[in-house]
Amino acid sequence: MREDNLEETIKNVLQREVSDEVFHIEGLEGRIVTELAGQLPKSSPLEALKRLLAPTRGARLGQLAVIGATAAVFLVLGVFLAGRLPFLEGNPRVTVTPSGNEVLFIMPAIGAQSVTVVGSFNAWEATPLSDENGDGIWTKSISLPPGRYEYAFVIDGRWWGQDPLADEYVRSFGAYNSVRYVGLAGDGA
Amino acid sequence: MRASLEGETEAWGEIVVRYKEAVFGLCLGFLRNRADAEDITHDTFIRAYENLRRYRLEKRFSTWIFTIASNLCRNHLRHRRYHPVISPSDPVSGGLDPAAVVAQEDRWTRVREGLDVLPYGYRAPLILRYYNDLSYREIAEVLSLPEGTVKTRIHRGKVMLKQAIEKDGVIHYERG
Repeated sequence: MREDNLEETIKNVLQREVSDEVFHIEGLEGRIVTELAGQLPKSSPLEALKRLLAPTRGARLGQLAVIGATAAVFLVLGVFLAGRLPFLEGNPRVTVTPSGNEVLFIMPAIGAQSVTVVGSFNAWEATPLSDENGDGIWTKSISLPPGRYEYAFVIDGRWWGQDPLADEYVRSFGAYNSVRYVGLAGDGA
Repeated sequence: MRASLEGETEAWGEIVVRYKEAVFGLCLGFLRNRADAEDITHDTFIRAYENLRRYRLEKRFSTWIFTIASNLCRNHLRHRRYHPVISPSDPVSGGLDPAAVVAQEDRWTRVREGLDVLPYGYRAPLILRYYNDLSYREIAEVLSLPEGTVKTRIHRGKVMLKQAIEKDGVIHYERG
């Protein structure tokens, strides 16, 4: 058998095998989307505190007392250590890396006409993402100084607040925003 | 809540639609077992979604997805006994004369059986080359091998398959 015939035969055999079996993965996308949606969003400590203080306040008093006592202990300990360990000044999440970090924003959006990212780092003005090879993966790398950033994507005018790359999500004006921490605990760290 | 979150992840569903057949074909070729290929295809898209942060712009997205699938297949093979299970296809005549159909089916069956027993290290580059249409460089990226090794393995893999077809029998090798 000639070399090109063999290559053609291998290709045909593999394609035939897949076409015979591919019906087994019909609807896979639906199952995956449902499974991923079942992974509840991480909420920020502020969100958690809001829930703690919300309507069922009476029932939460015991928990608040425990949290308050724990916080007091850590506060005293922190003040004590800060006097002896000079490098523990400020917020470690935002002060460790002095220079900017390249943060990759990436959003799958097949067939979209425009994808932008808006956030606290660009005063909520749209920064466009690009999909140069047309594979539906839109990307933009932005250099950001260490800090906490809220943002969302806008795909063809529609708000997409839950980026899978986010460190957490927050709700604002009825819609989700994503949050990234850039620095020690986030991108580029 | 669930409906809203599904809305947020539905963009990923479009990615699954676009790449699922290519990933499934890769897994089927690597694992030679339909049920396992189905599971690993599913796991590949979940893993990719959870690891989007590790995606690097210099790689094509498809190459990145194939790398995840390839790694999952390799790990899976390490933990299961080797038992290829792919149903034989029904012959497709396509207007050919019956003798030609029989000859073609016979040749295809031998290639299929040859692929079943070809060591993994030789089979994987062949699948990526002839099913997924990747370049040598891309195959090297996906399998974390030097490009020269990829070329050698593809060449040797074809030699082994050719022997299997021409010797009128099935080749027997150790698992790779």
